[in-house]
Amino acid sequence: MALTDETDVVRTEEMLLNVGPQHPSTHGVFRMVVKISGETILEAEPVIGYLHRGTEKLAENLQYTQIIPYTDRLDYVSAMLNNYSLVHTVEEALGIAIPDRAEYIRVITMELNRLASHLIFFGTYLLDLGAMTPFLYAFEEREKIIDMFNELCGARITFNYMRIGGVKYDTPPGWLEQVDAFVKRMKGEMVKYRNLVTGNEIFLARVRGVGKYTTEQALGHGMSGINLRCTGYNWDLRKKKPYSIYDRFDWEVPLGKNGDCWDRYILHMEEMEQSLRIVEQALQQIQPGPVLAKVPKLIRVPAGEYYSGIEGTRGELGFYIVSDGKDKPYRLKIRRPSFENLQILPIILKGVPVGDMVAILGSIDPVLGEVGA
Amino acid sequence: MTWTWSNVWHWAAHPLSWPGFVGMLVGAVLVLLLALLVVMYSIYWQRKFIGWIQWRIGPNRVGPWGLFQTVADVLKLLIKEDVIPTGVDRTLFLIAPIFAFVPAFLVLSIIPFSAHHVFTANLGIGVLFYVAVSAITIHGVMLGGWSSNNKWGLIGGMRSAAQMLSYEVPLGMSIVGVVLMAGTLNLNDIVAAQAHTLWYVIPQIVGFVVFIIAGTAEMNRTPFDLPEAESELVAGYHVEYSGFRFAFFMLTEYVYLLAMGGLMATLFLGGWTGPFLPGWLWFAIKVFAFITFQFWLQATMPRMRQDQLMSFSWKVLLPLAMANLVITAVVKALV
Amino acid sequence: MFGFLKGLGVTISQLPKKKVTLMYPDEKPEWPERFRGVHRFIPELCTVCNQCARICPTSCISLSGARDENRKLRIETYDINSDICILCSLCTEVCPTEAILMSDTFENASYVRDDLYLDMHWLYNNELEYERRHPDRAIPETDVQKKAGD
Repeated sequence: MALTDETDVVRTEEMLLNVGPQHPSTHGVFRMVVKISGETILEAEPVIGYLHRGTEKLAENLQYTQIIPYTDRLDYVSAMLNNYSLVHTVEEALGIAIPDRAEYIRVITMELNRLASHLIFFGTYLLDLGAMTPFLYAFEEREKIIDMFNELCGARITFNYMRIGGVKYDTPPGWLEQVDAFVKRMKGEMVKYRNLVTGNEIFLARVRGVGKYTTEQALGHGMSGINLRCTGYNWDLRKKKPYSIYDRFDWEVPLGKNGDCWDRYILHMEEMEQSLRIVEQALQQIQPGPVLAKVPKLIRVPAGEYYSGIEGTRGELGFYIVSDGKDKPYRLKIRRPSFENLQILPIILKGVPVGDMVAILGSIDPVLGEVGA
Repeated sequence: MTWTWSNVWHWAAHPLSWPGFVGMLVGAVLVLLLALLVVMYSIYWQRKFIGWIQWRIGPNRVGPWGLFQTVADVLKLLIKEDVIPTGVDRTLFLIAPIFAFVPAFLVLSIIPFSAHHVFTANLGIGVLFYVAVSAITIHGVMLGGWSSNNKWGLIGGMRSAAQMLSYEVPLGMSIVGVVLMAGTLNLNDIVAAQAHTLWYVIPQIVGFVVFIIAGTAEMNRTPFDLPEAESELVAGYHVEYSGFRFAFFMLTEYVYLLAMGGLMATLFLGGWTGPFLPGWLWFAIKVFAFITFQFWLQATMPRMRQDQLMSFSWKVLLPLAMANLVITAVVKALV
Repeated sequence: MFGFLKGLGVTISQLPKKKVTLMYPDEKPEWPERFRGVHRFIPELCTVCNQCARICPTSCISLSGARDENRKLRIETYDINSDICILCSLCTEVCPTEAILMSDTFENASYVRDDLYLDMHWLYNNELEYERRHPDRAIPETDVQKKAGD
């Protein structure tokens, strides 16, 4: 029997694979519909919205103070920054001057929270790649940060700590010393992480050159934060559009070069060190004083549109308020960095093996509470 | 030939007789019990050891220091409902765990546990037997993944088939070096050959390294645990299994840990030989060191990727094992 | 090359480190004073101003009061639906007399949702329990009478 061209080759069929919403490495309830041929991904389509709670709509019926606890639940691993982004926008709209001590406490808590969030990245990313131990080390350090926050504001995750015009409480006695001791300890831990993970050949082989994209692609997809900086584009709102008191500290913006998973990983690690630097300086500069400015009990934002973005852990985190002069926003739009960062997935997942899928998704570092909002 | 009581224990050296058969049976049951005991406490030790590394205390609720934790876990698995999902290939789904486990238990028959190899078949082709029989497990794993009609299971099964086949080759090659030095395939004779000279780990250091790496991959342990990579494939080939069928897969994995440890101790570390202590204790210490090393690796390493794993086996390990083999042969011919 | 050996060194060096596990049901965590657990409520202090119910982002507080013989408002019912309460502590922030406070009760899992509907009785008991657990944090009796009196 003569072989024709069709029977000559073994015909294989693509397989449609549903990654998530219950999958250990999607960092929450995220779903990807992946078309694979063997181990290679041909097409990937992210499906978003499993954690949608309608925060933006809910906010239209809430006073500005009441929205703060809702922002805790967006990016639930860096709630301090969410708190700050909202109150910062309202403060800009109202033109309130914030007491110095409040600003320092805010910077300390925000940078500690950024550190905690990057620790989660470090731990879960290595867990995605199959190493379990870094996860537990990272979570133990995060636990220390969270315990300090617990002492400061009474909650471990959903802080609800920032208020329009300052912060809710002053620091309890001995708290700043505790932070100081933690910063010193954390520096040693960073060395340990470097020895444990950063030099590991298997780890390097897994992340070098994986999940690459260019600056143009990143900008075109509205990416920000580390996911943009890993391509070498210098864009950090703390430097470019200084808010709060970040101009008083001496620190650098670490930049990547290739835009691959390795750059994203190492930028997280370097940002942790920069955060420690900022906290250290803030601890030296902080002075006693009031922590809450005089603000009216019922906050009414004058009619108009206001936007201000801050450098969140995952990128530009902004609140866009449309006010009609009432005590509640007419419309609130939240620019959630994870949501924007995820949009590049179909492009960078094309043609990679299944094993790299989790490596790439983990390196983008999405938090699904923020994606779904 | 007259029959004496000692024939019960020295059945290997005598023609088969009824008492000898009974002795064999008793031996098999005892080895099975031993294997189960070792498996239970290696799981316990794994959880404790990795727990200590990770600043945890590990199992501590069931029994003193949690010693009965694994017993409780096994009991739970045994009394669980035997779930056979609809849509699975029923026959294959049912026999796959058996396919996987039986070879794992079979290979224990040639491991010389002690100086008086009571429960050890004095097999002339011992090494070959191990490599050949352990390859059967691949079928069980692959069939289990395929028959469960689950996409994750399928990928896991295929991955493990590819991986275990690829690593069988360097594993075999690394063993051949030892066989060349000892001049025999019989594991008992290999131990005896090492008793008077250096342990083969020194002259065969390259072979030893290749053996450890390939052995780790063969057992699907970190950093080569791709077939059951829980962060990628959820659980890999046994994703649809539960209850005692799942327990069988688990058992396979840990029996191989014992068997591979025994093989390593026999081939490279002089088996049961050693000063002062009794032979079985030396053997136990060596196997324990191997098992602990595996857990240590598990606590440190991330996972490799499938294509890297393959090219590592064919492009690095195999040439290394070959070179070792050639050098061994040349040295042996010259000396 | 051989960077993984460093990693092996790190993991093995952690073996003798102090373990961080808390033996949870036997040992309870020490919560700081500001900890926001389930509410506690002191009925004598309440002036039925309704501010807590108004500030609550999830509207989980409902209360009612009536005037007593001295024409002073007294609380009659005070319910918190802790099913939807997000423990944001805004109610304790606005309370002028500190009648509603946060306690360190944090274990309130239940099989039925009705159990999560906390009434004044439960909340007051929670206050008594809290004072028993933390005698140093209790509000002095004289203070309560003074505040309730004026």
